[in-house]
Amino acid sequence: MTRAHLALPVGLFVGLGAVAPLLVLFVFSVFVVDDFELKPAFSPRAWIELVTTPSYLFLIGKAALSGAVAALTTSLLGYPLALALARLPPAWKGVGLVVLLTPLYTGEIVRIYAWRLVLGSEGLVNAALLASGTVAQPVKWLLFSPFTTALALTYNNLPFMALALWVAIERVDRRLIEAARDLGARPLQAFLKVTLPLTAPGLAAGVFAVFALAAGEMLSPSLLGGTSGQTAMAMIDNLFGTAFDWPMASALALGLLACLFGVGAALAFAASRFAGARA
Amino acid sequence: MSRAVLTLYALFLYLPIVVVALFSFNDSELMAFPLAGFTLRWYSALAGNAAFLHGFVTSFLIAQPVGVLGAAFGLAAALAVTSEHMRWRLGFAALVMIPFLVPKSVLSIAQAMLMSRVGLPRGALALILAQTLVVIPFTTALIAAVLVRLDKKLEEAARDLGATPWQSFRLVLLPQIKPALSGAYSVGVILSLGDLTISMFLAGRTQPLSLMVASEFRRELRPDLNAMQVVVLALTAVVLAVSEVYRRRRARVRRGRSVAAAAAVVEAVQ
Repeated sequence: MTRAHLALPVGLFVGLGAVAPLLVLFVFSVFVVDDFELKPAFSPRAWIELVTTPSYLFLIGKAALSGAVAALTTSLLGYPLALALARLPPAWKGVGLVVLLTPLYTGEIVRIYAWRLVLGSEGLVNAALLASGTVAQPVKWLLFSPFTTALALTYNNLPFMALALWVAIERVDRRLIEAARDLGARPLQAFLKVTLPLTAPGLAAGVFAVFALAAGEMLSPSLLGGTSGQTAMAMIDNLFGTAFDWPMASALALGLLACLFGVGAALAFAASRFAGARA
Repeated sequence: MSRAVLTLYALFLYLPIVVVALFSFNDSELMAFPLAGFTLRWYSALAGNAAFLHGFVTSFLIAQPVGVLGAAFGLAAALAVTSEHMRWRLGFAALVMIPFLVPKSVLSIAQAMLMSRVGLPRGALALILAQTLVVIPFTTALIAAVLVRLDKKLEEAARDLGATPWQSFRLVLLPQIKPALSGAYSVGVILSLGDLTISMFLAGRTQPLSLMVASEFRRELRPDLNAMQVVVLALTAVVLAVSEVYRRRRARVRRGRSVAAAAAVVEAVQ
């Protein structure tokens, strides 16, 4: 009996609570619905429908696209933030961590609600633009557009990316960067040739997590994206609740998961290669 | 330079929260700039709102067991993953991360389908267990990060002096990780209070605050909802602040404590 045995209760709980329901989706996906009752069968109907219905494939592709956009924007925004955090004096790093993570604790609904106040026609951004005379009419595309979805997904996931990059940057030997600078590299060159390749694993981890999290979000797109906010998630919810087509809901959910982990892993690999290739 | 960068990012990350707070004190039905003046009437409207108070109590009561269970499972998982004897370390870590990486809505729908198929009721218990599951990756990472930094020699010394595994855990390890445990508890409470997705699918007839707010403001934005959000944020901040103060106080006495604990072990086994 060692500490390692404590893995058993946790494994059991996660297994029963998360893995079993996901595996049962495979079973449900081949069942048939007859007269509003789910009956055991071995029918490939839902899977055939999944790969032949353009709107399902479109929604899965859209999930992958919004995940990829969020992974890209959070990496671009995350590096300057993580570099600045890594340069904080040690005593301030704890404060930096709290300030970085506190926005994660605001409830999902608070965040969505707040964006409506910031980006609406009479919101903060439009008020500032109108008052400064930059625009004559309120900018409409700020709210209920694909831009809003991308902004919300970036906001929701930036702390995760910044944290992954920050941890990776802390592990880089400061002397390597100093050596590069001493040998005449400009700051950007030192970043591209030294910091970026050495933090490639952190970047890959961040890309994978942000991609999976952003591609699987349902609430932000549907409550902020307007007519563009239809997601695979909302479709699954609809098939599960209103339409009572559990086989189709299961097949779509599994298709989405496969896409998330497949594309996520590919992107993470690409990110580590891209960053590593510059060494 | 990096100070300016951090300020910009803080502005971005806190802008939405500040705007909600501003409008909660704004003396107008319309949520539009420019602001109309200071008022507390949205807060007094809130105090008389029985449905809000009921929703808040429900959310609070659900968050407590989520905090405790999340910390307990996180502790067990962190102890296992940092143990030298752990085989399949990577596989176990990946298993624990599943609830973080699988979209919450897919997970909740899958759980709802399985539960209704085998005849388990949705409601407070289902909600508590499902939220605990989603909290475990966070609490495990938090506690494991502290465990890997501990001085292994203290525990080895306790074992060399004849302490049983349970004694060395309770007297040497536990005093050192109490701050991390209280942090894990507050992360669980906070994530539970903020959750909407899981509640949508598993709450059954239970009505936590987030569900009430979601159904209210799908129709329209109202100023008293701002006040409600500020109250929820303020309570979240209190939970954070209390656990941070506790953590700092423990961190200061930790060194002294672990020496005292080692002495206690020596005494206990003699």
